[in-house]
Amino acid sequence: MSTLPSAIVNQDEQYLVDNARRRKQLSIWFYFLCVAIALISVVILVVLMVSIWSQGQSRLTTDLLTRAHSELEIERSGMWPAILGSLFVCGTCALVALPLGVGTAVFLEEFKPTQKVLRWIHGFVQLNIANLAGVPSIVYGLLGLTVFVYMFNVFGQIRVNESAGMEIMGYKHFYQVLTLEPGHVVFAPQTDPTVRQITFDEPFQAVDPDGNPIEISIWTPGTPKPTDPEIRRRTVRSGAIGGTITERNWYYFRLPFDKSFLSGGLTLALVILPIIIIAAQESLRGVPSSLREASMGLGATTWQTVRDVSLPAALPGIMTGSILAMGRAIGEAAPILVVMGAAVAKSSGPQHLMDDAVTMPVLIFNWAGRQQDEFKELSAAAIIVLLVILLLLNSTAIYIRQKVQKAQS
Amino acid sequence: MSSVTPAIVSEKNSDDLSDQTLIHIEKLNAWYGDFQAIHDLSLEIPKHKVTAFIGPSGCGKSTLLKWINRMNDVVPGARAKGRLTIDDDHQGQRKEIDVLDPNLDVVGLRRKVGIVFQKPNPFPKSIYDNVAFGPRLHMKTSKSELDELVEWSLQKAAVWDEVKDRLHGPALGLSGGQQQRLCIARAIAVGPEVLLMDEPCSALDPSSTLAIEDLIFELRSQYTIVIVTHNMQQASRCSDKTAFFFEGRLIEAGNTEQVFTKPKNKQTDDYVRGKFG
Repeated sequence: MSTLPSAIVNQDEQYLVDNARRRKQLSIWFYFLCVAIALISVVILVVLMVSIWSQGQSRLTTDLLTRAHSELEIERSGMWPAILGSLFVCGTCALVALPLGVGTAVFLEEFKPTQKVLRWIHGFVQLNIANLAGVPSIVYGLLGLTVFVYMFNVFGQIRVNESAGMEIMGYKHFYQVLTLEPGHVVFAPQTDPTVRQITFDEPFQAVDPDGNPIEISIWTPGTPKPTDPEIRRRTVRSGAIGGTITERNWYYFRLPFDKSFLSGGLTLALVILPIIIIAAQESLRGVPSSLREASMGLGATTWQTVRDVSLPAALPGIMTGSILAMGRAIGEAAPILVVMGAAVAKSSGPQHLMDDAVTMPVLIFNWAGRQQDEFKELSAAAIIVLLVILLLLNSTAIYIRQKVQKAQS
Repeated sequence: MSSVTPAIVSEKNSDDLSDQTLIHIEKLNAWYGDFQAIHDLSLEIPKHKVTAFIGPSGCGKSTLLKWINRMNDVVPGARAKGRLTIDDDHQGQRKEIDVLDPNLDVVGLRRKVGIVFQKPNPFPKSIYDNVAFGPRLHMKTSKSELDELVEWSLQKAAVWDEVKDRLHGPALGLSGGQQQRLCIARAIAVGPEVLLMDEPCSALDPSSTLAIEDLIFELRSQYTIVIVTHNMQQASRCSDKTAFFFEGRLIEAGNTEQVFTKPKNKQTDDYVRGKFG
């Protein structure tokens, strides 16, 4: 046996056995270490949930789900406008970010250019997306503020209580004027939008608050004042001043977007766009190239290959990434605070495209910072609601994903 | 092109043009970036015969195969110079398809020249949808025409009996050999004239290999088949013509029996006897 090296021949049997035992022990210790580390994160989560639950559980009432924030009746404050607001903001965000993100990923992964210049552009886009994923969300907030809220002021500045910027559709301006009947107003149509106020001294056509057209007559001070309420409602004092009021349909559209839910949704779309792109790219990369070859080999065009082969195969992965991204969007507060402001007084969900909105994270942020104990408890309760909504959205998406996956295999 | 139904295909192939050359390759050079994979290669591939490309790894045989239906288009830096043409009977008129023409309709070329890959690569869809994939891309067919076409293709590929009861079951549930025959069915469903096969049996067990070889033998009455293989016995068993490649050059091409029994070239002789490669 002289041919074997001495390291093999002169081996101490006892050492081999001990060494093997020691290594096995180390392996077991490492196993327990991993279990412990995994448990720590679970324990922290459980502690957090329990503490939130114990704080907020007493406020989980129907009031919380159906009513709006109220300074006067703190007891009965609710988050219904915030739930609606969050859904509108995140809906906008999903509608914009998903097609853009998946489209970009398809371009980057499936339409790789062969020319040198195009390849360089391709690489540049890729590099930027990787960097954008690491940008803090508040920076996106500032970007959204400039781009969506003010639009670089090219359409004029938004001023308080004035129709502003460039109104495009879905609006009607009126002059609102008081009648002789206290508390009763009528509306005269506005013909020249640049005239903000007019003085009434002649009879005119108007509509009452229910939208019925009525003829308005003028009462000159000094003459006998009508006493019949019906007539008083159709009479305006001579020299009464009418101020502009605007009626907006749901499709009211204006540039710039101002502090609307649309601005918020678009800004959140910017925040999650890189996440969606990277997730979609990863799952497209996971599709075996042999499937693409098979499709191309049958005479499919690149688009047909993407539509019928790559995208269906990558769909489960794309959906997972999108679920995570949407989870981030619904919980994001910083860019929303910058873009839409911190006001929480709104008593309803958005009424039209340009309407402002309260979102759940902003409401929670506001409540958590208040002195009153009621608000602190309310914020804990609102967190529970936010978590439940998040879980519901995620489990729906996961359910759909499972169905898709099953249909494919 | 709803006319490419099974009936038409068999009618077209009833013309006996057995000794004709279908694919002409003249002074072909091909590169991947700076690396030249094929040098000055000239070869004629006969119609309705099986032509085998043999040679050690990296000899350019797969590269040549993939240029015949331009699968190399998607490989960055791949380019080719020279002549590569396929004869085409277009409504009785003889035409030549210039394969390397940059303006060529590649989609149409790939409908005429199908390809089967080394590893079975069925789509993660049902068996039926796999076979119907190509026809749905190119043709306008009614449901019943498509059903007929799918059955015909699966029968041609000798896999119908095994899958007819689970046409709408997942294709990935089939065995490797069945998957490969499904891929062949998928390729012939669009009515090609040429079938390129890139080591179609190298991922399969011996009995599945035998089934595929039988199938290749069957199919050659209607299709011009080009097969790349590492397996000498396979080349000698199922091909009519054999071309031996070495380091990007064609060393010898001829009748399979002649190449294997009395090769003219020393290198071919060494290779077919298993002395290297």
